[in-house]
Amino acid sequence: MDFLSNFWGNVTLGFSVAGTTMNLLLCFIGVFLGTLIGVLPGIGPMTGVALLIPLTFSLKPTAAIILMAGIYYGAMYGGSTTSILVNTPGESSSVVTCLDGYQMAKKGRAGQALAAAAIGSFIAGTFATLMLMLFGPWVAGIALKFGPPEFFSLMLAGLTVVTSLAGRSLVKALFATLFGLAIATMGIDNQSGVPRFVFNNPELMDGLEFLVVAIGLFALCEVFVNMADMKGAVMERLSIKGSLWMSKEDWKRFFPSCIRGTLSGFFVGGIAGAGAAVASFVSYGLEKKSSKYRDELGHGAIEGVTGPESANNAAAGGSLIHLLCLGIPGSGTTAIMLGALLMIGLQPGPLLFTQQPEFVWGLIASMYIGNTLLLVLNLPLVGMWVKLLDIPLYLLMMFIIMFSFLGVYTVNNSVQDLFLMVGFGVIGYLMKRLDIPAAPVILGIVLGKLMEEKMRQSLVISDGSLMIFINRPISLFLLLLAIVAITNPYWKQIGRGVRRLLGGAPAG
Amino acid sequence: MKENREEGIASIVLIIFSAAYLVGAFFIPMPVLKQQLGPGGFPIAIGFAMLILACIYAWEQFRGGMTAKESEEEIEKRAAIIGAEEKIEKKADLKTMGFILGLMLLYAFFFEILGYAIATFLMFMAGVFYLDRRHLVRDGVIAVVSSFVLYYIFTILLRVQLPAGLLKFLEY
Repeated sequence: MDFLSNFWGNVTLGFSVAGTTMNLLLCFIGVFLGTLIGVLPGIGPMTGVALLIPLTFSLKPTAAIILMAGIYYGAMYGGSTTSILVNTPGESSSVVTCLDGYQMAKKGRAGQALAAAAIGSFIAGTFATLMLMLFGPWVAGIALKFGPPEFFSLMLAGLTVVTSLAGRSLVKALFATLFGLAIATMGIDNQSGVPRFVFNNPELMDGLEFLVVAIGLFALCEVFVNMADMKGAVMERLSIKGSLWMSKEDWKRFFPSCIRGTLSGFFVGGIAGAGAAVASFVSYGLEKKSSKYRDELGHGAIEGVTGPESANNAAAGGSLIHLLCLGIPGSGTTAIMLGALLMIGLQPGPLLFTQQPEFVWGLIASMYIGNTLLLVLNLPLVGMWVKLLDIPLYLLMMFIIMFSFLGVYTVNNSVQDLFLMVGFGVIGYLMKRLDIPAAPVILGIVLGKLMEEKMRQSLVISDGSLMIFINRPISLFLLLLAIVAITNPYWKQIGRGVRRLLGGAPAG
Repeated sequence: MKENREEGIASIVLIIFSAAYLVGAFFIPMPVLKQQLGPGGFPIAIGFAMLILACIYAWEQFRGGMTAKESEEEIEKRAAIIGAEEKIEKKADLKTMGFILGLMLLYAFFFEILGYAIATFLMFMAGVFYLDRRHLVRDGVIAVVSSFVLYYIFTILLRVQLPAGLLKFLEY
C-alpha cells in the first residue's frame, strides 16, 4: 500500500505542477509549435527542438522541459499529417506512414487515415507515459546503486547501441560519435584546470557551445541541402474527403495493430534505446508478418498507418525513460533535449526522481495533457496545418537562417559563435554528402564530459587499473552489450542475415 | 567513379584531422598535482580510436575492401530497416550554395555592427532577390516583420538581449 500511496502522491504532485496556468500554456505552445515543425517540410524534430531551445532560457527547468517535450511530441504528430496528405514525411519516423497513408488518402480515405494515426499516437503516447510512471522510479532506483564504473560502461553501451543503428556504415557512424566526444574535450578541464584545444582563444575556454554545433549541423545543414537542389518541386496534396470518423470495420482492424505497434514501439524505444524511426520500421515489418490483412499492406491498409504511428509515439515516450532515469539519450532529439537541460544546469539521471520530484512528475503529467491537446489540435484543425505547405521553400530557408542566428547569438552574445555555427553548417552538409550521420556527433558532445569524468573517477577508485570495468558484473555486462552492438554488422558478413542484426541489438 | 574519389579525399582529410587531434592531445600539459588519468588521457584514447577508424575508412575506399562484400542492395535493405537518413542528391547547385554561404558569413559579420534588425532585414531581402523576386511586396512585408517587429518583441517584451547596432540612437 505504501507504493500505491506514494504513487498517488506523485501523480497529484505532477498534475498540480503541470496544471498551473503558466505550464498549461507552455504545454499548449509546445505542442502547437511542435506540430508546426512536424508539418513543415525540411524541418525535423531535431532541427525544431534545437532551434527552439533559446525560448527556454528564461524559463525554470520544469517549465523548459514541459515546453520541449511538447515540441517533441507535436513534431511526431505533425510529421504523419504530411505523410498521409502529401506523401512527404515531415521527419524520418513517419517515412513508413507514407506507404499506406498516402494510398488511403488517394482512395478518399484521408480522414480515416488521419484519425487512425492521431488516435493510435494518442493511445501509444498515453501507454508510454503510464509505463514511465510505473517503471521510471524503479529503473532510477537500480541506477542509484551504480558507481562510476557502471555509469561509464552504461554510457559506452548507450553510445554504441545508438551509433550502430545510426547509418549505413558503422565505421562512419562510429567516427561521428568520436568526433562528438573530441569536441566535448575542448575547453578547460574540470578536474585539473588545464586548458585543452583552446588555441589561446578566450571564448573557447568554456568549450564549444553545444547549441552552436547542434544548430549548425542540423538547421543550417538543412538550408544547404535545400539550396543545393532548389528546383522547388510543387507538392501535390490530396484533399480530405468524407468524414474523419472510422467505421466499425476500421475500428476492428485498428485495435490489434495499435496494440502491436504500441508494444513493439515501447520495446524498441524504452528497452533497446533505439529511436522512433527504428520503431516505426520494426512495426511495419511486424504488421507484414502478423496482420490478418497483410496482403493489403502497401495498398492503403489502415494497419500500415496505425502500427507505425503508434510505434513511433510509444518509442518517443519510451526513450524519455532513458533520458530521465539514466541521463542517457536514446535518439538524436532526446540528446538535444539533454543538452538543453545541461545548459539550464540540470543533470538528468537517477537522482532526479528523489531530488526533484516536481520536475519529473510535472513533466509526466504534462505529457498526458499534451497528448490530449494534440488530439484536439490535430483532428479538427488538420486543414489549417496543411495550408502551411503553401509557404514557399525559399522563405522557409530565410526563416531558418534567421532563427538559427537569433538562437545561437542569445546564448553567449558572441559573434564568434555565429561563425563557428556557419562552419558546422558546412561540415554538416559535407557529412550528409558523404553519408556520415550527424546525430551521433550530438550524442558524443552531450555525453562526452560526463563519460570522461566517470572514467577518471573509476580509475581513482581502482588506483589506475582498467580491470575495474571488467571485475564488476553490471559493468561487464554493459561492456559486452557495447561489443555486441559494434560487431553486429559483421556477423551478417558471416552470413547470419538482417534479422539477426535487429534481434541482436535489443537482446544482446 | 567520381563518388569514390570524393570519399577517398574525405578519408584522407579524416586521417589528417585525427592525427592532428592526437598530436594535440599529447601536448596537453600535465597538471601540477599527479592524477590517475591526467587531462590528456581521455583525448589520447579518442584520438587513437579516430585515427584507427579513419584508416579503416581509407582502406575501404582504396582497396574496395570490407563494404564491397556487402552488395549495394543489401546495404540499402539494412538502411531501410533501421531507418537511416535518405541519401542526398550528389549534384549540387554550387552557385546558389556559394551565395547562401556568403550571405550567412556576411550576416554573421554585420550582426553586431548593423544590429539584429537591420542585418536581418538586409539578409532577408538579399536572399529574396537572389532566389525568387516575384513577390517582392509580400516578401518585403515579411522581412520587415521578422526583423524590426521581432526585434522589439524580443528586446522589450521578452527581454532577450539583441544587438541594437545602428538603431542605438532609438534606445531610451
